[in-house]
Amino acid sequence: MDSNVSAQVRKIVSEMSPLDGHTVTSADRLMEDLGLDSMTLVELSLVLESEFELGQIDDSAPALVTVGDVEELIGRAVSDRSR
Amino acid sequence: MTTTHDELESLLADQPANGTDRGVDAHALYQRWENQHWAVGELDYEQDRAVWAGLRPFRRRELMHSLAELEVGEASVTATLSSLIEHARFESDQLYLATQIADEARHVKFFQTYLERVIGMDVAAETPELRARTDYAHYFDPELRRVTRRVHAESGNPVAWQAASTYYHLVTEGVLAATALRTTRQLARSLGLPVLDIGLTNVTRDESRHISFGFLAARRAVSEGRGDALAATYTEAVELAATVLVGPQTEQPAPVIRAGLEQRAALLRAMWAVARDRVERQLRSVGLPDAAPATTNAFDRAVGRALDEYAGRWGRPHPVRSVQQLT
Repeated sequence: MDSNVSAQVRKIVSEMSPLDGHTVTSADRLMEDLGLDSMTLVELSLVLESEFELGQIDDSAPALVTVGDVEELIGRAVSDRSR
Repeated sequence: MTTTHDELESLLADQPANGTDRGVDAHALYQRWENQHWAVGELDYEQDRAVWAGLRPFRRRELMHSLAELEVGEASVTATLSSLIEHARFESDQLYLATQIADEARHVKFFQTYLERVIGMDVAAETPELRARTDYAHYFDPELRRVTRRVHAESGNPVAWQAASTYYHLVTEGVLAATALRTTRQLARSLGLPVLDIGLTNVTRDESRHISFGFLAARRAVSEGRGDALAATYTEAVELAATVLVGPQTEQPAPVIRAGLEQRAALLRAMWAVARDRVERQLRSVGLPDAAPATTNAFDRAVGRALDEYAGRWGRPHPVRSVQQLT
């Protein structure tokens, strides 16, 4: 997985989390650990799509639980796009 | 005046269900009005300006959409209440309704002041276009104007008067505004917008009086043997309300990330469920429980038609339909 993509994902997630001073890790759970609510998860999706210029994604995951799940999804989408 | 959020939720959400307001008459609602004044000019709008300036585009869009729908709804009810006042059958109703028109004007003023002083809109120049884009203006406002004009045209015919009150008090205020106020107050609190929260809380308190009057009038119509006509009108209005809630005229952000799309759809469905639940409870509260299944079915069918209309309007499925197609 592209480490730049992962770092960028963590940065975006961190900006959306209401927690101050918390260093976001791949293991953090978006809702339980980082305090993201449902609307923020929608917003996060839209921001990621814009940031990584994602048109369509081969995505069958109905839920993203951890930051690592997001990193994996976006990393795969970016990789697919550049093929 | 210290009504808590929980008490307000109870006023709007539980009152129709548990029937605690059954003893309230128009005199009592007038007295409540005297005891529950508030002033648009007393709020310190500066508190919310910095928060709004720091909001990301998606949150701004959500909030603007909600405020626009609320503002146009308030403007519409301000413009249409006079026929109900003029042709009220009882003086006590007339006196109460005269207080309500002042409330409606205050609500328009609150939303316009907020749009101007917090969001920085030129209200005089931009409001007409803002209103024209709303689903309420597209679907509901023309019908509300039609039914209230009919009250004038038929010189206060009780069936026409009750039809107008049904569109006005029970559906515009008791279903659409109550649902929008609840979701927008939740948004204001989650975004840390204290002035909007206070203003919406005040508006909600006023609306609880208006809805109580709607129940009073509807129960009277049912007791006088006009329940069938009321149920038929109510169902028509509820179908329009369901269309407004889906909002075929408003393009919805639809994430391509499935988890985001599912969350988006779930949030919208939850809002529609609040409205549908209110419909069911209102019918029970006014003494028409047998009409609830047909009316909620009509609500569901109207949602389906509105989703179809959305797809035709925007050339792609509504987020809720997209999720349905995934499963």
